[in-house]
Amino acid sequence: MSTALQFTAAEQALGVSLPHRRMEDWRWTDLRRAITKPYAPTKVAAVTRDVDRLLAASPFAKIAKARVVFVNGALDEAHSKLSGLDISKNVATPKVVDPLVDLNAKLHPHGLTLNFAGQAEQLVEIIHIATNAAPRAIGLHNAITVADGASASIIETYLGEGDYVLNAITSITLGNGAHLDRLKLQNDAAAATHLSQVIYDLGENARLNDVSVTVGAALTRQNGNCHFNGENAEAKISGAYLQRGKQHVDTRLVVEHRVPHCTSRELFKCVMDDNARGIFQGKVIVARDAQKTDGKQSSHALLLSENAEFDAKPELEIYADDVVCGHGATSGDLNHDHLFYLKSRGVPEAEAKSLLIAAFVGEAFDMVANDEVRDALASIAQHWVVRG
Amino acid sequence: MLKIENLHVKLADENREILKGLSLTVKPGEVHAIMGPNGSGKSTLSYVLAGREGYEVTEGSVTYNGKDVLALEPNERAALGLFLAFQYPIEIPGVQTMQFLRVALNSQRKARGEKELAIPEFMRFVKERAARLNISQDMLKRPVNVGFSGGEKKRAEILQMAVLEPSLCILDETDSGLDIDALKVVAEGVNALRSPDRAMIVITHYQRLLDHIVPDVVHVLSGGRIVKTGGKELALELEKNGYADYAEKAA
Repeated sequence: MSTALQFTAAEQALGVSLPHRRMEDWRWTDLRRAITKPYAPTKVAAVTRDVDRLLAASPFAKIAKARVVFVNGALDEAHSKLSGLDISKNVATPKVVDPLVDLNAKLHPHGLTLNFAGQAEQLVEIIHIATNAAPRAIGLHNAITVADGASASIIETYLGEGDYVLNAITSITLGNGAHLDRLKLQNDAAAATHLSQVIYDLGENARLNDVSVTVGAALTRQNGNCHFNGENAEAKISGAYLQRGKQHVDTRLVVEHRVPHCTSRELFKCVMDDNARGIFQGKVIVARDAQKTDGKQSSHALLLSENAEFDAKPELEIYADDVVCGHGATSGDLNHDHLFYLKSRGVPEAEAKSLLIAAFVGEAFDMVANDEVRDALASIAQHWVVRG
Repeated sequence: MLKIENLHVKLADENREILKGLSLTVKPGEVHAIMGPNGSGKSTLSYVLAGREGYEVTEGSVTYNGKDVLALEPNERAALGLFLAFQYPIEIPGVQTMQFLRVALNSQRKARGEKELAIPEFMRFVKERAARLNISQDMLKRPVNVGFSGGEKKRAEILQMAVLEPSLCILDETDSGLDIDALKVVAEGVNALRSPDRAMIVITHYQRLLDHIVPDVVHVLSGGRIVKTGGKELALELEKNGYADYAEKAA
């Protein structure tokens, strides 16, 4: 009997077989090898002091007026600020097939559906916190719906301490003419594995601005599926990686243009130091009828060490004949002329480098409309100082 | 103030000597012009003084107020008061001009053990100087030199000089790419900074700039050495006769 057919200890604990390197989408991120401990879904009670400390660590703690707080996978109503939010406890099953969706089901995730029917008046932070406890697996599944003509602005924040596998799914539906600004900040614990999946369904004339910032976790795999279901919709999806040590992050983004006249823009700015490894796999699928599609994706890596690595795998699968689609990828070191210019004006090397790094990833934050949020992101990047 | 003695410089990755025994002494309050044909080593001199990588000093010394300049990092030289206005100012996408100025000024103040300027105080300080150079608020909000015209870039260099208040300004071909109106604005900005305790080295190919920034001393640089030194009338003579005489001398 082949060993591949035998569950590893981790797979037995989780109740699913994990994706591995012989699967094309997972060639760089072999979860079967990476997840070695028997992480099992376990309910863990948290100490209020820990929760308070972690909640205060969110850079958006003072910016977001409404807050949905999950602690160790469960809703913490006492710490949440839910007033003015339209929430239901039912969360529809995700409509995509993916190993991470299978895993999520096995973890019996908690979660909510947030419905937005008006205009975005307040910034809503959905924050997940993992407190330090025995190694375990945590599932979460939230849904967000923005009604026809409505708009919303949400931030998903992931923070934690200790050793855990977090599997978080967010299903997002934008109605006709709906507008959503979404930001995801992942700063999970240094030992954590962060496995997330976001699924977008966009109606006619919908507008999506999505920014993801990946700072934490030992291993991150984030999947995105973006479906254009109505004409003249637009999705801008950008991401930033700030990774060092032996951190590993792999983004797999699949954008499906199912109808004509939609626009998609993907921009990932990835800073990798030490032995960190970053991967960006972007796929754009244009259906036979999706004429006049305008789809572009690009990924740019800044490699701060000789041992850092970045892999880009752009894919275009186009069945229509009147489209504009393109992709680009670059990777390189800090620009020496930029460094010299800053130093010649009196800026010490370390500060000059952090300024340039912040400027590099900053492009991914350009579309964040809220000034305070953009400043908070710039500050995260600036403080992610290069260690000598 | 600045003392360059028998400076020999070659390119780090080529065995070609560019400066071949250059000596120069500059005292506070003086404006020195260094003129010379293309390839004479003018830009090399300015880059070596600022500390750019890629050059190797094989012989000689550079001291500034008694300190060994060549042993210092570019930022340490800046904190001592050295400033190079670049011939081709570098564009830095993503770094706002105002932020750049603030980080630069505060870095230098910190290095000198002075208090950093608070943001409102700093903004006033910059706006006042920017207005004198016809630099708009919009330009200050844009990334450093990105999308600036040739003239805007040169004005931005002079603004940096006005904000950082160096004691030795080296202007490398500041006139290149400027029309006469832009040249006047830049020259006025430079002249406003002339003071008894600030020295300037104006590097230029043409005499034109020296009509507006009148030097005390003019040097002819040719073949990696200063081959003649004189008063401002030397610049006029060069304009008339060209560099041919000196090129032969150097050979």
